[in-house]
Order: sequence, then C-alpha cells, then structure tokens
Amino acid sequence: MIDLRGDSADSAPIPNSRKKESTHSLATSPGLSQLNPYFNYDPVYFPPSQPEFIFPEGAVKQRGRFELAFSQIGAACIIGAGLGGANGFYKGLKATTLAGEVGKLRRTQMINHVMKNGSSLANTFGVVTLMYSGFGVILSWARGTDDSINTVAAATATGMLFKSTAGLKRCAVGGGIGLGIAAAYCLWNSRDAFSEITHHRMNPA
Amino acid sequence: MEEYAREPCPWRIVDDCGGAFTMGAIGGAVFQSIKGFRNAPSGMNKRLLGSMMAIKQRSPIIAGNFAIWGGMFSTIDCTLVHFRKKEDPWNSIISGAATGGILAARNGVPAMAGSAIIGGVLLALIEGVGILFTRLSAEQFKPPQLVVDDPSQLGPPQGNPS
Repeated sequence: MIDLRGDSADSAPIPNSRKKESTHSLATSPGLSQLNPYFNYDPVYFPPSQPEFIFPEGAVKQRGRFELAFSQIGAACIIGAGLGGANGFYKGLKATTLAGEVGKLRRTQMINHVMKNGSSLANTFGVVTLMYSGFGVILSWARGTDDSINTVAAATATGMLFKSTAGLKRCAVGGGIGLGIAAAYCLWNSRDAFSEITHHRMNPA
Repeated sequence: MEEYAREPCPWRIVDDCGGAFTMGAIGGAVFQSIKGFRNAPSGMNKRLLGSMMAIKQRSPIIAGNFAIWGGMFSTIDCTLVHFRKKEDPWNSIISGAATGGILAARNGVPAMAGSAIIGGVLLALIEGVGILFTRLSAEQFKPPQLVVDDPSQLGPPQGNPS
C-alpha cells in the first residue's frame, strides 16, 4: 500500500478524531486485507464532502407529510378522546347529581357520558386532522415542495370541506377559521425570520 | 413516496391509532356511500344525497371504532414488549385477544370471551400469513454461491506470450 498519509493530511481538512479512528480500525489491521481487497485502503483518503444517503429519498430536510400524517391523526384522536372524556365526566357528574342517581345506575350513566362525549370529540378531531393531512399530502405531492403555503391552503380547504354540508356561509366561516389558525401557526413558526427583519430595520448598521 | 416504517414503542401507539383511524375512515366512507346510495329513496339526486349523508354521519364513528381498536391493541402490544423483553407473534396474538376482550367489557362475560377469541384468531391469522410471506420471499434473497477467482493458483507470471 502506498503511503500518501503525509501530504494528504495537510491538504484535506479532516477532523483529528476521524483520522485517528480510521487509521487504527481498518487499514492497519492485518487480517482484513486478506479477507477482501477492498478493505485494503484507508478511508481517510476519501473524505465525505457531502452527506451520504443510501436512498435519494432520504435527502429531504424533514420528514414528509405522509410519514407524519398517521402520528398527527392519532395524536388528534387521543387528545380529542381525553378532552371529550373529561368534559363528559364533568357533564355526567352534574347530570347524575341533578337526577339524584346513586350506586350502579350512576356508575353506568357516568360511563355512558364519558364514552359518548369522548368518542364524539375524538371523531371530530380525527376527521379534521385526516382531512388536513390528506390535503397536505396532495398539495405537497402536486407542488413538489413543502412549505407554509401548503399548510395554509390545506387548513383552509379542511375548514371548508368540514363545513361543506352546512351551507355556503358556514362553509366560508369554516374556511376562514382554518385559514386563521394556519396563518397564526405559520407566523409563530417563522417568528425568527420576522424578528430578524425588524432587527435589521431597527439598526441598519 | 416515503417509506413507511414503524415507530419505536411508545410512539407506536399514536401512530397505530392514526393509521387505524385513517383505514376506518376511508373504508367506512366507501362502505357507507354504497349503503346510503342503496337505502335512499329513488332518484339520482336523492341517492347521492343519501350517500353523502351516510358518509357524514356514520364514517367518523366507524373510524373512531377502528382507532380505539388500533390504539388499545398497540398499547397492550407495547406493554407486552416491555414486560416480556421480546417482540414476537405471540405479542400480537395476545394483544389482539386482550383488545377484543376489553372492548367488549360492557357487554358481559360471554361477549368478552367471544370477542377475545375472534381477536386472537384474527391476529393469529394475520401473523401466520405474515410469517408465510416472509418465508416465501426469503427464498429469493438467498445469496448465490459466489466463486471467487483466486489468481494465485495460476502461478507466477510466465513472461510475454508472443
């Protein structure tokens, strides 16, 4: 094996730890080059200049909408079930106290209240998130990018679809609510960029 | 499309819940659209309207039932993974049976037993089919017998043949 180590170490900006580890691990161990001729080189001569991915699909910055969709829907369902269950517990407590029910009857009524309220809110939350995820996946697939416009458009479409059977006016109101929530979320998410802009405007040094 | 791989254990519950909800919502929408179409009074407009009403009213409920099944199943599965320290088909079968039993808890003990048996058998079938497919598809991934040509058996180079 040709020893290029001296001049290569000067030219290539390789971190020290990596150099030490690689020279000790593979190239200098005697048995490996007999197993396979490809083990007979020092990986330090091929410094990775860019991130390496096995599949080109892994090169996106964040996880795609489809990957996140099921988690989001599930989280919405569980949160909805929790909130609705708590609300149902409160309602059931009030109703059974008012009706003067005790013992087994009261317990059954309480369970009924919790189950009914919890499942209805969980279903609502889940359906809304399912619509939003579906629109988001379709939009990001159609546009080829994933940005705030997708979020806002998907949320608006979700609001309109969710209220689409309740009349034109309420459909528009639903879309407006979706638009507002998504816009607020996007503004909150990109507040760093905005603070940078205002900061630059304050002292243009 | 990105590869859909399973999440590690505590988050798997959320993920499975969402997946089951999606499955139930889409399947329920298809099923209810047909049912609503057939049950509506005659006339194309009325049939389409009935179909849409059925989707709107019933498919979230079906989705919710699927979601609670998936979430409960995954919760028990993760609990079993934690306590048994291994992941195997028995986990799925046990959690399928337990889920069926727990979700029928309000209908009395015989209903619980029936649901538990149905759940266990269903998950055993799914796991069995999965194992079968793994066995079948494993055949084609067997590495071929590699014959490495060893140049040393040719002896030292014999000069230039002219």
